[in-house]
Amino acid sequence: MSNIKMLDKKEETDGDIEVSWVDQQRINEFSKYNAKIDDLEDQYEKLKQEKEYLDDVSMELELADEDELVRYKVGDAFVHVTAPEAIEKVEKESEKLGLALEEVTQQVTTVQGKMEALKKELYAKFGNAINLEKE
Amino acid sequence: MSTQKLISNPRGIPSSPFVERVEDYVSEAEPVEIVLKKFQEAISKYKFMEVNLLQRRKVLEEKIPEIEKTIAMVDLLTEKKDTHEPLYTDFELNDTLYAKAKIEATGTVYLWLGANVMLEYTCEEAKDLLTSKLETAKTSLKNTLEDLEFLRDQITTMEVNTARVYNWDVKQRRLLREQSAAVEASA
Repeated sequence: MSNIKMLDKKEETDGDIEVSWVDQQRINEFSKYNAKIDDLEDQYEKLKQEKEYLDDVSMELELADEDELVRYKVGDAFVHVTAPEAIEKVEKESEKLGLALEEVTQQVTTVQGKMEALKKELYAKFGNAINLEKE
Repeated sequence: MSTQKLISNPRGIPSSPFVERVEDYVSEAEPVEIVLKKFQEAISKYKFMEVNLLQRRKVLEEKIPEIEKTIAMVDLLTEKKDTHEPLYTDFELNDTLYAKAKIEATGTVYLWLGANVMLEYTCEEAKDLLTSKLETAKTSLKNTLEDLEFLRDQITTMEVNTARVYNWDVKQRRLLREQSAAVEASA
């Protein structure tokens, strides 16, 4: 409760609205979605970065010699594999990440949609008495 | 009446009371300050639990990639085992020091179980064990996330309660002032 704004007289009397259980539930839901979207955005950033790394690596591998042994990182150790094998592995990883990224993007869109809907309902009832924006 | 709230969630976190009408909570015996104090106490208890759960979540979120890495390695070994070719790796002795190692095609792996215990398993057993460990970790993480959401709800409810009690109090005081001003004016 850090942003305490002093409402002037007129606004104060208008904020005389009772909060029903349904309103409380909506507010709680909004708070949950807010936290969730922060998490999802973090996840999305991490996945995007990994995918970028893999894309860079696959470009490098295409330029590499066919017989050259590439050290492919599995866990904490590097395994010597041939270039074509490495390319295959990188492609598989890249596909997995692509799917994960899509899923996260979808979730973000869903959550954002729900938050917009809740915002409309809550602003309609409470107007100035509630603040739903990110600082 | 809307649905009855749970008294506590599956893992024993008590749910917070919702203030339908402020008048029900504030009375002569329990003036506003006491009520606000109780609410503040409840909020700090919830926040304490939240900090603990966030810790637990972080630990789990670190463990899960570790287990996934181990599974990837076991999968690779299983693959190579069928080709009967030795595997060359650069193996991490230290953060910045790697050593070349030749791994013969083998059917068994050694798994570090913690507490200075390491056991030998066949590749399949190892994969099964690791997969079940991964599942447990993922379930724990899911539970922790659920608890965190539940806590978030309770904290928000309590904060809204506090705000409303406070607002109601401010309004009461203003009404009292206006009343006494009216009484003085008419006297």
